[in-house]
Amino acid sequence: MSTKRTMTLNLTDTEMQVLEDLCDKKDLSKTALLRQALRLYQVVESRLEKGEKFFFEDDKTKEKAEVMML
Amino acid sequence: MNTEFDAEWCLNMARLEGDGEIGAGTVAADPIFDGELIEQRQQDEPVVAFGRFVRLMRRRRNMDVEKLANTADIDIEELVSIEEDPHFRPEVRTVYQLSMFFDIPRESLLQIAGLTKPKDNRIYQEAVRFAARSEPVAALTPEERVALETFVAVLNEKK
Amino acid sequence: MSITKSPKVLLNVEWQAGEAAELWDAITDQQLADWEALWQPALREALQRLHREKVPLERWPQSRHWDWRRKAASIRGLLANPAFSVMCGGVTQGMMILDTTRRRCRIESQKGKNLVYVEYIENAPWNREQLFKPSRYKGVGTMLIRAAIETSVAEGFKGRLGLHSLPQSNDFYANTCRMTDMGSDARYQDLHYFEMTSEQSEEFIARGARS
Repeated sequence: MSTKRTMTLNLTDTEMQVLEDLCDKKDLSKTALLRQALRLYQVVESRLEKGEKFFFEDDKTKEKAEVMML
Repeated sequence: MNTEFDAEWCLNMARLEGDGEIGAGTVAADPIFDGELIEQRQQDEPVVAFGRFVRLMRRRRNMDVEKLANTADIDIEELVSIEEDPHFRPEVRTVYQLSMFFDIPRESLLQIAGLTKPKDNRIYQEAVRFAARSEPVAALTPEERVALETFVAVLNEKK
Repeated sequence: MSITKSPKVLLNVEWQAGEAAELWDAITDQQLADWEALWQPALREALQRLHREKVPLERWPQSRHWDWRRKAASIRGLLANPAFSVMCGGVTQGMMILDTTRRRCRIESQKGKNLVYVEYIENAPWNREQLFKPSRYKGVGTMLIRAAIETSVAEGFKGRLGLHSLPQSNDFYANTCRMTDMGSDARYQDLHYFEMTSEQSEEFIARGARS
């Protein structure tokens, strides 16, 4: 399954802190987490392109708040 | 990722696997119909009862075609064809959506929509009876009369 | 897109010996052509026999209406949904689609952690004793589950897996894969939800290493 290619990522201190906190929380390495983010981004984009909408729903009130991605 | 597990592992596990089924996955991701698998839909049998049924269920809820199409998340054009064209065969998904909206068992609706062979003749016979009984014989309502007269006027317009 | 084809082995039931096979990390037009031209007619033949023998519908294969062409089209190009197929004798013997982003663990000890979810997995009709006696090959299920585990490891999920078993497969997941049966799930047609922990995935791998 494909050779891997390496890239360098420049992040601000704050961004790096957010990344590290997420990694701790989700027990994932930085690479694993960013690969997850890429997969999720691609799925969302693909469905938006098909005309679907992306929502969060309040579990109690069942109210939907639209999350737009461009 | 590692796909390098070896032949010996495969064979050992194959022997442990036994004769059982291994399938997993949500079944109704594709709508199921429990009738027999049919190779070809019968093209010519009209499904008057289905269209009539959908129309009456819609009107019972005081909905117009557009409202039903939007609420049940189906194609407007397809809904019009269902109600008006007795030879029209709807998509399985559409019947599935209507069955959920009208709260009618999917299997029954698929049978009267002509998408599955009837498991027993009773539903088919009832459908025929229903079609015969539900042919409207009432006089035109005032709204229908106005709409008809307007349309007749347009058809008669001389160009 | 490059496809990796790894050499593997299936158990040929007639020979009672291994036959060379391949694990592909994709579902391509070749597999879909086999599904249409070979799986479907074999399945129809088996269903007609079940019908003649008046086997009750609950015992018919529950995946009989799955449309693999539609499933494959819906995941094409998506990183989140790796797919695998097993080839032997030049013919598709099994297919599987995974999801690597949407699901999370339910078992208390790993609750909320990422896992790889098996969206769909199916054996070719002629490999299923329920449909054809004797069956042709064994080992498709364990090979694909191993591939799912390796995908989980590669994603950083340490071998964790989840799936909804078709009722006739509960025994395979409970006893051969030794996954945890978390009971019937009302949100998924009451199918049983099975989950595999990291430790269980290591045990599964180790079992095949012992002869």
